[in-house]
Amino acid sequence: MDRRTFLQTTAMAGIAVSFAGAAAAEWKPRRPLNIIVPYKAGGGTDAYARAVSAAAADRLPVPVVIVNKPGASGMTGAIAASTAKPDGNTILLHSTGSFLFTSMLKETELSPFDGFQMIAQIGNLKVSLAVPAGSPIKSVQDLVDAAKASPGKLRWAHTGRGGRFHVTGQTFLNSLGLEAVDVPFKGGAAARAAVLGEQVDFAFLGIQQGRGFEDQMTRLAVVATDRDELAPNVPTFAELGFDVPLVSSPIILYARDGVDAEIISGIEAAMAEIVAAPEFAELVNAKGTLPLYRTGAEAAAAVQAMKDAATPVIDALKTN
Amino acid sequence: MDILLGLATVFSSPALLGWVVLAALVGMVVGAIPGLTASAAIAMLLPVTFYMEPLSALAFLYVIGKSGRYGGSIAAILFNTPGTAASAATQIDGYPLSQRGLSSKAMKVATVSSIIGDFTGELLLIAGVGVIAAIALKLGPPELFAIYVAAFVVIGSVIGKSVVKGLASAALGVLIQMIGTDPISAVERFTFGSYDMLNGIGLVPLMIGMFVLAEVLSQIENRGKTIEQYEEPSSDEARARNRLTWTEYKPCMPHVIRSSFIGAFIGMLPGLGSAIAAFVAYGEGKRRAKNSEDWGKGALEGVAAPEAANNAVSGPSMAPLLTLGIPGSTIGAILVGVFLIHGIQIGPTLFLTSRELVYSLFAAGLVGIAAYGLIGFYGAAFVGRFITRIPTDILYPLIFLTSFVAAYSSRGSLFDVWIMVVAGFFGWMMKKLDFNPAAFVIAFVLAGGAEETFRQSLLLSDHGLLIFVTRPVALGFLSLGVATVFLRARALSREARAAALEDA
Repeated sequence: MDRRTFLQTTAMAGIAVSFAGAAAAEWKPRRPLNIIVPYKAGGGTDAYARAVSAAAADRLPVPVVIVNKPGASGMTGAIAASTAKPDGNTILLHSTGSFLFTSMLKETELSPFDGFQMIAQIGNLKVSLAVPAGSPIKSVQDLVDAAKASPGKLRWAHTGRGGRFHVTGQTFLNSLGLEAVDVPFKGGAAARAAVLGEQVDFAFLGIQQGRGFEDQMTRLAVVATDRDELAPNVPTFAELGFDVPLVSSPIILYARDGVDAEIISGIEAAMAEIVAAPEFAELVNAKGTLPLYRTGAEAAAAVQAMKDAATPVIDALKTN
Repeated sequence: MDILLGLATVFSSPALLGWVVLAALVGMVVGAIPGLTASAAIAMLLPVTFYMEPLSALAFLYVIGKSGRYGGSIAAILFNTPGTAASAATQIDGYPLSQRGLSSKAMKVATVSSIIGDFTGELLLIAGVGVIAAIALKLGPPELFAIYVAAFVVIGSVIGKSVVKGLASAALGVLIQMIGTDPISAVERFTFGSYDMLNGIGLVPLMIGMFVLAEVLSQIENRGKTIEQYEEPSSDEARARNRLTWTEYKPCMPHVIRSSFIGAFIGMLPGLGSAIAAFVAYGEGKRRAKNSEDWGKGALEGVAAPEAANNAVSGPSMAPLLTLGIPGSTIGAILVGVFLIHGIQIGPTLFLTSRELVYSLFAAGLVGIAAYGLIGFYGAAFVGRFITRIPTDILYPLIFLTSFVAAYSSRGSLFDVWIMVVAGFFGWMMKKLDFNPAAFVIAFVLAGGAEETFRQSLLLSDHGLLIFVTRPVALGFLSLGVATVFLRARALSREARAAALEDA
């Protein structure tokens, strides 16, 4: 298990924030920059893209156009981006946890490492464990005890088998030898509703899903190295002494293979500036998420570490 | 009296009022064009709203959703092609009325019923947004599944001459719905390794193919033959026939009121949507109607019931959306995005932080209903008269082209165009062989959600199927469905026995 290396890489990448301002001079886009979002408008990844578009207005000479191409767990958009003209005018913004797991589970030709080059990371979506506010379960330890007392009786919600929430939750349960029945729901909002309405006992959800619902839903722990700035009261699993692989979903910009390295480093530098802009932070904070900039190389290292950590879980899912 | 303040806000801002009226018009037009649904229009217009005031943007999209649901009835009545899935039930009686030259009357009934339904839903929302949200939370997958079962009953109403072929059509619809990713296990079903099929077959291209392209193909086949078209004796007489009087509308009222409440209830439950509301209302209306044998042959009540229900969904569906962040429909999901883009946090705190905005939005909804009602009542009759005057050799080529554009534009996918073409030939063959395209599409619409909620319920249950019996709301809707089927079956066997006696 490469979890330790993964922890180190993520920590290092978190500290190392690089600014490559000089390279921007070599990238002179003349046509609008199209960002393909492989999800519907209004979702988490889409919110990041819209924030890029808004913050780029004063910082890039061309407009940034968001193109939503939902379908096939994000594959439809990825295929569209991989077949676009390799001139760097059409790039992909993907929720990489989902992209990675889909590509591993379905053994697709496209993956974060095949057919694409990472330009830069602009954000991160984190997984959290949540229970209804009225639940007798008040802590992760309570949950473990309850699951041990009645194996196979607790119900938990996620947003689809093989997705990052299912993978994280199942790994957590497996590592402690717990049994519980998972119930897939369509989308984060539906899974959250199942928690709010006490249809299920707990759920693995994006931490941002709890924003504004603090009175109805308690987030017991977050999968991350550090506490979330927007939810400082939620401890990390590591703090509580639970060993959960650090699966998150880095929001990464991709260019298809064949795009010039110069163009890529130009966009990378522009993104560093955009992500640091106050209006970018404001827009993504409204959705309960945070900006997080990493260069393409740093992002690739982090995703590789995540892939190594998730491989045994995915293999177990495939054989089931 | 927040709503009065809201109304004051709407009426004191000419710009906002302008957006609301424009939305009423846009929604009606896109709703009326088969394949161009209100949600597709909203998705397309979304970027425009980023540059608008938050209230104007929200009101604009909200009212498009409302009038789009209504606009779908126009195409359903005139061309037997539902403009949106929500008006698939309207065509059952709407088109026969149109064939008898009563299209304007049918459209007026649809307009009045839509307005009543929409106002009922909106007023319930304004009066009890908190209560609605609390109810919505307590209803989970078992209740949703039971409502799907009650909606399935409507298939019985569209099955015409051959029961066996009707049921076979419905079964085919279920089968085609199974294409794609399994909602629970995420296993691929019938995808043949194609990414395009991973998400299943899109409803919009399927519907355009089955109804629009298939109709064009039948028209090509009948070319040269004299087309069975209602000749208007004189325009004055036609106008008189199409005038809607209170004596004619009065029998519709009980259906409209019942359907409004059915629609409002279904609207509270996230994920069901207007099509399901229309089906349940039609099925329940037919069961209770004194003239149930006229339903399906052009009864005004059969237009009124589903139209009231599909618009009544609109208001109450905002309650779970605003207070719980659960979008009940595609339109709802897009509205959530608009709130966020304008920096408004949806959730229980919304009514504390943005109370004025929310009630102004509700007020804009009320004004929007009035706007599309007026435009529809006076405009739809004109549109109906206008369209029947276009010669078929101009009209059908235009419709043919529109169907391709509409199939492509809903998701910008060429694969959808292929689906539309295949569905077109398939629908045409079905009609030729006396199979039932309407039963096919209804089964297709309902099967996906029904399967998902059924299997979720079983995962949630400790005692298998007993979960449906132990939850009262689920039990209620299940009994409704079973009772309807039982009564229909008894009526059918009595008819069969009577027929057998006559033969003897």
